[in-house]
Amino acid sequence: MSQSLRPYLTAVRFSLQAALNLTNFSSQVVERHNRPEVEVSNTSAELKLQPMHVSRNEHEQVLIEPSVNSVRVSIKVKQADEIEQILVHKFTRFLEQRAESFYVLRRVPIDGFSISFLITNKHTETMKTEKLVDFIIEFMEEVDKEISEMKLFLNARARFVAEAYLGEFVY
Amino acid sequence: MEDWRRIDIDAFDPDSGRLTAEDLKPPYASSVSLQELEPKISQLRSAATSGDFLNALQILTTDPPYSADETTKNQYFHAVLGVLTQVRQADITNLVKQLSPKQTDVLVKYLYKGMSVPEGQKQGGMLLSWFEKVTQLSGVGPVVRYLSDRNTV
Repeated sequence: MSQSLRPYLTAVRFSLQAALNLTNFSSQVVERHNRPEVEVSNTSAELKLQPMHVSRNEHEQVLIEPSVNSVRVSIKVKQADEIEQILVHKFTRFLEQRAESFYVLRRVPIDGFSISFLITNKHTETMKTEKLVDFIIEFMEEVDKEISEMKLFLNARARFVAEAYLGEFVY
Repeated sequence: MEDWRRIDIDAFDPDSGRLTAEDLKPPYASSVSLQELEPKISQLRSAATSGDFLNALQILTTDPPYSADETTKNQYFHAVLGVLTQVRQADITNLVKQLSPKQTDVLVKYLYKGMSVPEGQKQGGMLLSWFEKVTQLSGVGPVVRYLSDRNTV
């Protein structure tokens, strides 16, 4: 693991451990509703805690927004050039369309970020919190690798295709 | 006209009992202005240029301007960021060791603030190594206290 990646992931791990301390909490506004308070804007600011930004540089950031019964974790994946932008967009969209099989994935990322997770008290009750943290950290490690791998693959493929087509014109 | 079915009428009702972020600010007796902070900022600058980082760190983690308004806080934060980013990586552990738990909590606030603004994000690596040293020494405690504290820096 590179030298600057480790402190980044440690910071995210500690922030998540602190934030993932959730309890069941019914809505204060609507009877018999129980909703993730972090998603309900403009009501009851007392249920939200201080948001935490963890950033390695301008392009790689994590925003953790905790509340009494839910935590929203948004990740900005490194996008160095246009190819990576497209790849990240396609990749996160692919995952988001299958959000129900990931349980904690949010269908739409919040503004300015590539992908968001929404962890509620239901999740921390049925799953091990430590493992949830591990999952997020592992996702962050893997997604960078995956994107650069895809980029290499894409470039190799483009070169091959170009050679095959343009070979026609070589005399 | 905008979609009136979506207007949140409770927001306009003063008796709704709804709290906003403004209501949650702790009641400060008085507000610190930029002029009052000016000596502290120059103290920070001179301590940083003379290489006396322990002194600078003690100044910035003691009695931070909680009651100031946002622009003043940002002005002050620039000086703080200058100190934090000038320290050499190898010295961080020693400096953090000499802070009291209360001062560590303030330091964590500044670190999170730094990572949320563009100027700090450019120095992300530096702030992250501060953060790493803090968590190595005092664990998750300061982070939890940051979360629940309504006093912002």
